[in-house]
Amino acid sequence: MNETDPDERSPDSAERLETDGGMTDVQREQQVDYLDVEINLLKPATPFMRDHLRIIWIGFAIWTLTTFGPITLTRIAPELMTATMPAIGFPLHYFLIAIGGPSSALLLSVWYARKRDQIDEKYGIAQMRTEEMETPTETTGEEVTATDGGVDE
Amino acid sequence: MSLAVTVLQQELLPEGLNISFKLLPGIIVVTMMLSFLGVGYFYKVADTENMWVAGRSIGNVENGMAIGANWMSAASYLGMAALIALSGVYGLAYVVGWTTGYFILLIFLAAQMRRFGKYTAPDFVGDRFNSDAARALAAVTTFLIGFVYALGQARGMGLVGMYILGDITAVLPIPGVSAYQAMMILFMVVTIGYLALSGMLGATKNMVLQFVILIGAFLIGLLVTGWSAGFSTVLPQLEYGALISELSAEFSAPFAGGSYYLWVATCFSLVFGTCGLPHVLVRFYTVQNERVARWSCTWGLFFICLLYLSAPAFAAFGTALYGSEIGAVYGDPGMSSAAGDVIVVLASQLAGLPTWLVGLVAAGGIAAAVATVSGLFIAASSAISHDIYANIINEDATQRQQVLVGRLSIVAIGLLTIVFALDPQQPIAALVGFAFSLAAIVLFPMFFLGLWWENANRQGALAGMVSGLVLWFIPMLNEGNFGIINGGDGWGIEIIATWMPAVGSALVATPLVFLVVIVVSAVTDEPPVDTKMMVRQCHSPDPMPKDKTAADVVAEKTDNVPPADD
Repeated sequence: MNETDPDERSPDSAERLETDGGMTDVQREQQVDYLDVEINLLKPATPFMRDHLRIIWIGFAIWTLTTFGPITLTRIAPELMTATMPAIGFPLHYFLIAIGGPSSALLLSVWYARKRDQIDEKYGIAQMRTEEMETPTETTGEEVTATDGGVDE
Repeated sequence: MSLAVTVLQQELLPEGLNISFKLLPGIIVVTMMLSFLGVGYFYKVADTENMWVAGRSIGNVENGMAIGANWMSAASYLGMAALIALSGVYGLAYVVGWTTGYFILLIFLAAQMRRFGKYTAPDFVGDRFNSDAARALAAVTTFLIGFVYALGQARGMGLVGMYILGDITAVLPIPGVSAYQAMMILFMVVTIGYLALSGMLGATKNMVLQFVILIGAFLIGLLVTGWSAGFSTVLPQLEYGALISELSAEFSAPFAGGSYYLWVATCFSLVFGTCGLPHVLVRFYTVQNERVARWSCTWGLFFICLLYLSAPAFAAFGTALYGSEIGAVYGDPGMSSAAGDVIVVLASQLAGLPTWLVGLVAAGGIAAAVATVSGLFIAASSAISHDIYANIINEDATQRQQVLVGRLSIVAIGLLTIVFALDPQQPIAALVGFAFSLAAIVLFPMFFLGLWWENANRQGALAGMVSGLVLWFIPMLNEGNFGIINGGDGWGIEIIATWMPAVGSALVATPLVFLVVIVVSAVTDEPPVDTKMMVRQCHSPDPMPKDKTAADVVAEKTDNVPPADD
């Protein structure tokens, strides 16, 4: 279970940026960019969004096939699809819908989350960890920190 | 007693279920409820910051489990196996819709929602579209979803409760109240009492506990049922395949329980409803960062799949046992919908499991209902206290007042649920399916376009939400739900019933709402630049501090002044 724990995989690669207090020029530059580019699902405006949307659309296309494909094929070719599978005895359509659909979505999710981590790495994006979360002006309190301790395994 | 009441009582008595007071299962349920209350008391909180999103401090796997727990409602635990048993392959549309929807949520919404950083769905809609009217519409929708969804849960609690505690009207006769009704009221009161005391932090802790109990009870029940009935050994999730050929053809014949169109429409509604459900989305505000949002969504799907890959096996075992011990499952009279809704418990009972083990399975069903109702009522009450009361009615509301209004609205929605669940007209899964249609039609387009198209504006959102609400009500009333039109018969317009069934109305209505939002937004003024920047900030790869919202970042950039509040 630990292998996918995000806290352990947070890329430490890029130079540790000062997340408290002021921001480095690199960061400010990136932020300026993003607040000034148009967000349109069909027209990705930055390299990061282009890479990201590419995996989103690939995933979506495969998802459409695994979700609605089996029932549609069953409609088109009922004879073929209701054939009994060897060894496990399922009718083919039943297996593809009841087991194939949910499992594919799970595998696709893992695939997407990993791909997205790779993209993060490529662009040197480090997620903030709990200790770095609070900005200095903030006094939201001990309570939050205290619960964190018990929560993260 | 009038005839109607007698008929009703018969309808909601699952045939074959052993309805009597059982001590051990009773103790299991009471212990469970007490531990929920204990945990709830321990985390009892008084300030709204903690009450609503648990201080946004919840980690990856734990959040995944919480997603799983509030997903695994009575509809998944009981209702899905019921539909698979009664409607065959059509029932699988629920299995597919309620799992694969998480992938869409993951790729399009989860991380962006986290970056937007607003507490509730109405908050998102209100801030994104700069409109208190839009916020109010979203709050009303959230409340409606919670209410319709809870109806199914209440039905589940009442039916399963009868296995454990028997007919409490035999001990405490209340005129005009059937065994099902008495049990449903009892468990709703317990849920409401608990919820009124604890906020979200308690509920979240609880949900992990409930998830463990629930999945444990379900999987152990399935394993032992399959084993003692001789259907399976160690992997019933695959072994039930060999049993299918021995069951009636209706169980696996492709379109015996519903047409191809109905299957696709239902599945579509459930998928996009998943992406619009307020009590699911609120889970993504409780995580540290967007990476955790993504992975906890994936974990959530994993935990959900554990149950969803097992439910068809339970349905197959239940169908086989019902057929051999009670009577024909299909045809007339066939299995009643009440028996279907408890098929999971019934299967364990018919397989000859010891009473305490059947009781554990039943208790899991009740835990499932309680967990989901908690999440729903919190979302609904925060819609009322936070979005309508504090943002519109009384802008100077103190935290104490907000908490009070929140608690009162929990009691109100609970009472409303009890009244309408006295005579539920549909099986559990269908009742819950209506809530998904609503979320898919009204809320999903707002989230999706709001996050992915910066030019979506206030006018577009308002037009879209109003037309969405109308489009949702048309098939609902046409099919006679809520018992308002023609004494529950509805208008019965054939063409609407065929092409826009209430349970799958999103297939037609969601694209229409998208169209309305896009066209109206395109012909009216573009949203202000601050709003556009907020949308842009949601897609920036730069890490964001946990205590900041997209709006704060935009405010800092435009004014160079840190946000005053918070």
